[in-house]
Amino acid sequence: MTPKSYTDVSDQQVVVFAQEGREDAYRELIKRYERPVFSLIYRMVRDNETAEDLAQETFIKVLNNIDRYRPEFKFSSWLFKIANNITIDHLRRRQVDTISIEGSPDAITAERARATAVTVTSGGESPLEELESRELGAQIESAIAKLRPEYRACIILRHVEDYSYDEIAEIVKLPLGTVKTYIHRARQELREYLGDLR
Amino acid sequence: MIEHDFDEDFVPIAAELQRLPYLSPSRDFADRVISGIDRLQPAQGLAPAIASRHLELHQGGQQAVVRRRNVGLVRGTAKAMAGVGLLAAAAFMFLEIDVLTAVLSAATAQYAFAIAAVGAQLGAVVLGSDTIAFLQAGALGAVLLYLTLAVGLFGGYAAIRTAAHIAKRKAA
Repeated sequence: MTPKSYTDVSDQQVVVFAQEGREDAYRELIKRYERPVFSLIYRMVRDNETAEDLAQETFIKVLNNIDRYRPEFKFSSWLFKIANNITIDHLRRRQVDTISIEGSPDAITAERARATAVTVTSGGESPLEELESRELGAQIESAIAKLRPEYRACIILRHVEDYSYDEIAEIVKLPLGTVKTYIHRARQELREYLGDLR
Repeated sequence: MIEHDFDEDFVPIAAELQRLPYLSPSRDFADRVISGIDRLQPAQGLAPAIASRHLELHQGGQQAVVRRRNVGLVRGTAKAMAGVGLLAAAAFMFLEIDVLTAVLSAATAQYAFAIAAVGAQLGAVVLGSDTIAFLQAGALGAVLLYLTLAVGLFGGYAAIRTAAHIAKRKAA
């Protein structure tokens, strides 16, 4: 059976078509998850080119091994797991621990620093609301950037992607207790960095 | 929305975290990913225009190999022999080719094919028929090419000798 549109097709069904080698199914999976995956990776590495490379590596790895996907798990969890592994491996190689909101620490010129600085956009708000939102968003991004990479992944998966503790433990390959500890500590640190928000 | 499992003072931060926008990679991101995937089939029904060029090349290569494998050694040999025979006949009729050159040419062609046929049989026993079939797919073309070159060489040589013979006879 060939779907005319993948709009109402579940991830699992799209994966079945992808397992048959259908390019349109691959493109649909990329379309659904390129932004969440890129956002997670970008917020961990804070460098646009690096994030694109790592996101690309993630999708290529996942889609070339699509036959290994086990349907009892969410496809997105599997995807985020690969993305997290690839990103953590990269960060360990580069030993990038703390990242500035003003730009990547790898930036060697002011232009490059501007290019790697976080730009927060929002829609449907008044200019004042948009300005406040951008300021708050920038503060949040800045605070996340100060967290340890492991904390960053856990707090983003919990509060941005709405994953449960069990799912996060599966994604980051850590014991449930460790994940809870990481998220608890990440929240404490965010409270300290974002005292004005309270 | 996730359930609250944090203190009230974290609520505004959690709300801001949930409002964080998704960031987008560059526009050609999907194309770059697709170009890195090595197990694709063309799209059916949904978007035939975006079928992978990589795949077309891949399938084209496979089809070419399969077609070549269908050409048997005997059939190829027969065609080559017929070609050589026609060339030899033409050489006798129009170029007055001398018998020695013709015999040598024919013998070379005959032995080359005999050796190739025996070698193929021995190879099939040692390497397996699949391997030999694969090798033959490319080797047969090469043998025909070399044979054509050899016939051309002998033909040219014969033509020069004939021309020299005629010129010598006229001079006498």
